[in-house]
Amino acid sequence: MSEIYQQLSTIIIAGEDEKAPGLVQKALDQGLAPLEILDNGLLVGMNEVSARFAQEEMFVPEVLLAAKAMHDGLEVLRPHLVAAGAKPIGKIVLGTVKGDIHDIGKNLVGMMCEGAGFEVINLGFDVDPEKFVEAVKKNRPDIVGMSAMLTTTMIAMGYTIKALQEAGLRDTVKVMIGGSPVDAEIAERIGADGYAYNSPTAVELAKRLVGAA
Amino acid sequence: MRTNYQINSGVRFRMLSKDQLQALFDGVLHVLEYTGLDVYHDEARDILQKAGAWVDDIRVRIPSYLVSRSLEMAPRSFTIFARDGNPRHDIHIGPGLAYFGPGPTPPNFIDIETLERRPFTRSDARIVAQVVDALPNIDFCESLGTISDVHVDLAASYEFAEMFPNTSKPIVAWSYGWDDSADIHKIAVAEAGGQEAFEKRPNYIHYCEPLSPLVSTFEALDKLIFAARHRVPLIFTPCSIAGGTAPVTAAGIITQAAAESWMGCVLAQTIRPGLPFFMGGVLSVMDMKAMIYSYGAPELSLMMAGITELAHYAGVPLWQTGGCTDSKTLDEQAAIEGSLSCFFSALTEGDLCHDVGYTESGITGSILQTAMMDEAIGYCRRITRGIEVNEDTLATEVIQRVGPNGHYLYDKHTRSHFKTEYWYPNLCDRRSFEEWQKKGSMPMRERVIARVRDIVATHQPSAVKPETEKVITQVLKAAEERVKDKR
Ligand code: B12
Repeated sequence: MSEIYQQLSTIIIAGEDEKAPGLVQKALDQGLAPLEILDNGLLVGMNEVSARFAQEEMFVPEVLLAAKAMHDGLEVLRPHLVAAGAKPIGKIVLGTVKGDIHDIGKNLVGMMCEGAGFEVINLGFDVDPEKFVEAVKKNRPDIVGMSAMLTTTMIAMGYTIKALQEAGLRDTVKVMIGGSPVDAEIAERIGADGYAYNSPTAVELAKRLVGAA
Repeated sequence: MRTNYQINSGVRFRMLSKDQLQALFDGVLHVLEYTGLDVYHDEARDILQKAGAWVDDIRVRIPSYLVSRSLEMAPRSFTIFARDGNPRHDIHIGPGLAYFGPGPTPPNFIDIETLERRPFTRSDARIVAQVVDALPNIDFCESLGTISDVHVDLAASYEFAEMFPNTSKPIVAWSYGWDDSADIHKIAVAEAGGQEAFEKRPNYIHYCEPLSPLVSTFEALDKLIFAARHRVPLIFTPCSIAGGTAPVTAAGIITQAAAESWMGCVLAQTIRPGLPFFMGGVLSVMDMKAMIYSYGAPELSLMMAGITELAHYAGVPLWQTGGCTDSKTLDEQAAIEGSLSCFFSALTEGDLCHDVGYTESGITGSILQTAMMDEAIGYCRRITRGIEVNEDTLATEVIQRVGPNGHYLYDKHTRSHFKTEYWYPNLCDRRSFEEWQKKGSMPMRERVIARVRDIVATHQPSAVKPETEKVITQVLKAAEERVKDKR
């Protein structure tokens, strides 16, 4: 039984996304509890990936493939987790703000957060405040994540926060922001709850914001 | 009499064979014809369709004959003129000629007094232009920052308004869209003496950036159309990230970036046949640990050399990249990365080499880095000038005259050549230890800072015409009016 957990964490670390769904299914067929499959299998692998990345033993493309394997495995597992009453550690609505089309860093943050067990709703780039508001209404996330790479679009993050306030939704979510011109001071000035300068710290921040770290 | 005598004037450098270049060329045509690009501009799609492109919703595919014809229409040689008629500030684009200058739009700047990193401001644009004007090996001007202390929509208009009067070296102008492009153009045209005079002697270059992979954004094309209609020489350059927004292999990223740039060439040449056109882009790798777009990687130089050779093979000039660094400060890393990329760029005869002065991977501009690279470029230029071989330089007669055990210091031959055969540094120190010590034991870094501060305190660029001054004031006033109700 522990063998299949071992296998699950190994394919996560190796980023073998095409094998993940099948193996998760196999574990379910063996009658293992969904939450155990997550905690003893997939997350063990993902934690190892985080540790290796922090020690610079793994590179980002390898981490992303691991996150993809995690994501694909979770697709199979999620309905069972829900049926068993388990929830993702948090839900994030993520987007690059209005006027800005830089999306590489934002996508990286999204995939790393998924890998860490969050459910991520990626709105893409050039997302206007209204669209953020709509997505919050529809998905009821714990966190809204915004990315801006231009000094000119940074202000759109403030407008989005204002729009959330006006819609009466600001208190229902935590707001985290990032992107190269952004810093902690700006986060404070526009009333965000946190800022991170790269994807690993973004994951830590997200966990802190939902009280999971 | 001499027969079949060949002269290599300057250093020869070639990386790719003709077969390899043809393979790349065919690869680009293949991508344009079979994959195509998404074009987010209705009018641009119309123009392309009428020219013979296949349009399918927003996807545009271009048959190869159309691409080849457009490349042929774009000139290989042309001149960008100094606004004040100073021939030493003209830029002559053509085979074997390479020019250098700073880059556009980082958010931060290294303050030349406090040496701290802070947001880029209006007065920095003026300082950069003034220093560029004075540096002997920097040939064109860009601002090294996005002005943060004016209305956000007017950063580009103010930037040009600050730079234009402070250097007569040609400016490569960046902008957000049609309106600020028009602001810039009005100023340049005023100095040139009208649109017609400008078309004959263009005094600035217009810069646009399409999106990788394979997207022509509305803004990039709107700006392109503006440039083509007003006959402003044009740079159309994607900034592709190997392993991120482009294939991880050098040949792959070159192929994709060329396709993105040539889409712009086809559109520009259709609107304005013969428009001076610089192919892009800026190619480098995403560091897979630090997750930054590396401006100090050897692959940047290698990929840039490849795309430069492809551009020249296709008969168009290229927007090169060099003199930039991932270092956060003016240090040994900045010197190594900057100098080597300048040298490699010079070897490829990349036509306009920009980003000289980018630090922190393009996040912080530093005119100090530019000034240090001015020295490196001087050094590179001496090398690429090569060795002259003729009767006089062979000096067999002089050798005979001086003979064994003599010396050359008094010889006329030495006197007539030592100034042109040697390059003399401005910043590199060659003095004796004692003298170096006597002058304060200054390391390179301090000498660079002192030079920049000295230029800012003393250098007087040639002034623009009084009419142009007036136009600048009017343009900025009208621009403020335009945005006054926009938040
Ligand atoms: C690639 C690139 C482009 C590509 C974008 C492709 C794409 N699909 O994203 C293209 C060519 C299209 C482009 C266009 C432009 N660009 Co650009 N671009 C870059 C470049 C070189 C790299 C950005 C990148 O992807 N980095 C790699 C990723 C992994 O890092 P990252 O984005 O910083 O993300 C990390 C962190 O910031 C953080 N993070 C990011 N988002 C979030 C979100 C949250 C919630 C959190 C917690 C954390 C977080 O974590 C990420 C992962 O570690 C930068 C320069 C640079 N070195 O950064 C310029 C840069 C950002 N661009 C710049 C400019 C000016 C432009 C243009 C305006 C240029 C023009 N005139 O056309 C246009 C703007 C178009 C628009 N409307 O947005 C400037 C911005 C300057 C400024 N003052 O604002 C820069 C700094 C270049 C420069 N030196 O001038 N660009």
